[in-house]
Amino acid sequence: MNRLFIALFTLAAIARPASAGPPPPVVPCAETGTVIPSCGDLVTAGQTVVYAMVGDTQNNLMRRLARLLRDNTDKKLTLAWFTSGSCANIATAYTRQNIPTAQVMSYVPSIAENGTWTPEIPPPPATPMPTCRCTIPAATPPDVINSALFNSACPSGEGAVPPFVKLTQGPVQAYVLAVPEASTQTAITFEEAYFVFGFGTAGMALPWVDEAQMFIRTVSKSTLVAWAKNIGVDPMKWKGVRRDGSPMVVADLEGTTSPEQAIGILGAEVYDAERAKLNVLAYKSKGQYYAYYPDSTSTSFDKKNVRDGHYTVWSPTIWMDYINETTQVAANLNARYIIDIIAGKSVTPAASFDTIDPVAKVGLVPDCAMRVTRSFEGGPLSLYTPTQSCTCKYESIVDTTTCAQCSGSQPCASGTCRNGYCEVQ
Amino acid sequence: MKTLVAIFFAVPLVFIAACGDDGAGPKDAAADGPPGDAGTPDADCFMNPQTHEEIINACTTAQKITKNPTLPLLNADGSLPPLPP
Repeated sequence: MNRLFIALFTLAAIARPASAGPPPPVVPCAETGTVIPSCGDLVTAGQTVVYAMVGDTQNNLMRRLARLLRDNTDKKLTLAWFTSGSCANIATAYTRQNIPTAQVMSYVPSIAENGTWTPEIPPPPATPMPTCRCTIPAATPPDVINSALFNSACPSGEGAVPPFVKLTQGPVQAYVLAVPEASTQTAITFEEAYFVFGFGTAGMALPWVDEAQMFIRTVSKSTLVAWAKNIGVDPMKWKGVRRDGSPMVVADLEGTTSPEQAIGILGAEVYDAERAKLNVLAYKSKGQYYAYYPDSTSTSFDKKNVRDGHYTVWSPTIWMDYINETTQVAANLNARYIIDIIAGKSVTPAASFDTIDPVAKVGLVPDCAMRVTRSFEGGPLSLYTPTQSCTCKYESIVDTTTCAQCSGSQPCASGTCRNGYCEVQ
Repeated sequence: MKTLVAIFFAVPLVFIAACGDDGAGPKDAAADGPPGDAGTPDADCFMNPQTHEEIINACTTAQKITKNPTLPLLNADGSLPPLPP
């Protein structure tokens, strides 16, 4: 079978030049055994490839969006991505570095190539369907670069944004403190978190006094930096076991033999996929009367408390691409197309899928559903009114909405009919 | 109610700010159930939040958890000590 895939891939590569007008050929994942093909082969086969470098909290978004883009009717794109810490990603963008040599990228099959592939993250012990893989061609810069927090929160992003980089603010990413399902803990305060992660065992913030049971991230990761800025503990001074990836933190929490003492930091969307084995702690921020979950209850998925400001540990995702310094035009229009979709902006040609859907379904909150904002990591919240609200649509995707439905023949009694719902503005 | 009284004495500035002419003052405690009930607005919440402090303590029907831990290293005035070197 592997030889058949190689033969098909080779045949397709020969038959279709990159500039061909007809639809690209059907190319299955070309990986065979330990041999990972070059991403350049996809281009040769007629695909338009956009290379992305994203934080690992954005992996689920990439899976879902990549699938939709492969079959986007009027602009079919192959999104090939790899994950890397946000602060490292910012450094890459600001210094115009290439993607590391031989970096393995992920991409997904189109429906025609594999109709049964799904981006869904099933509850454990089931595992997500694997992505296809390819290796980056030599000296290739990333087209889309992501940080999952304000760039200014990272040492690499403290200075001015270079004139050749454009920053686009995308959907909001919440971060959580998670504990094993067997833990009896339900909430943590700002002060507790300060003592737990800033002092470790010496902090005497029971029951989290075992530094071997505090599962954190390395200093370049948005999950750590975002929490650090929110609780006032320098990222370098955190106590605990530093992990390079979110899956390792999940494994630590799920495998611990001391569930009451165990605690870990995760992106909310990572936690959402692990709810069967982990619990989120409600968080009581400085000056707050009660602790709140990111969602309106411990079991819902509505991110209501993120949207209205009761849950304060969140960051906007920042999406970067290169521009011509003189004209300000995007260096790669396909990269900008993808970024605009993620940010909820209108695109031409219009996408053949609902652009709010892939964002909402991975636990991110689109800007149009937010009612609070902030200007720096962990900064004070202020009220926010988006130009065009999508709250009703967002709620209909992640939970249920009480908004009235509308259509051309069924106008709204009040508000504006958008996406089939009567939005407030 | 004890919580409400304690907050009035412990953080008076919050309420001074909240009781301006912006209509953002705390809601009448008598109108609500006891703090901590899920699905019930807080007794000491803000109906029309404007500032950060009011936004994070705005009235909501979301589930809320009461937590006031005893932390041995907390300074007597409630402030946090500096991080260890």
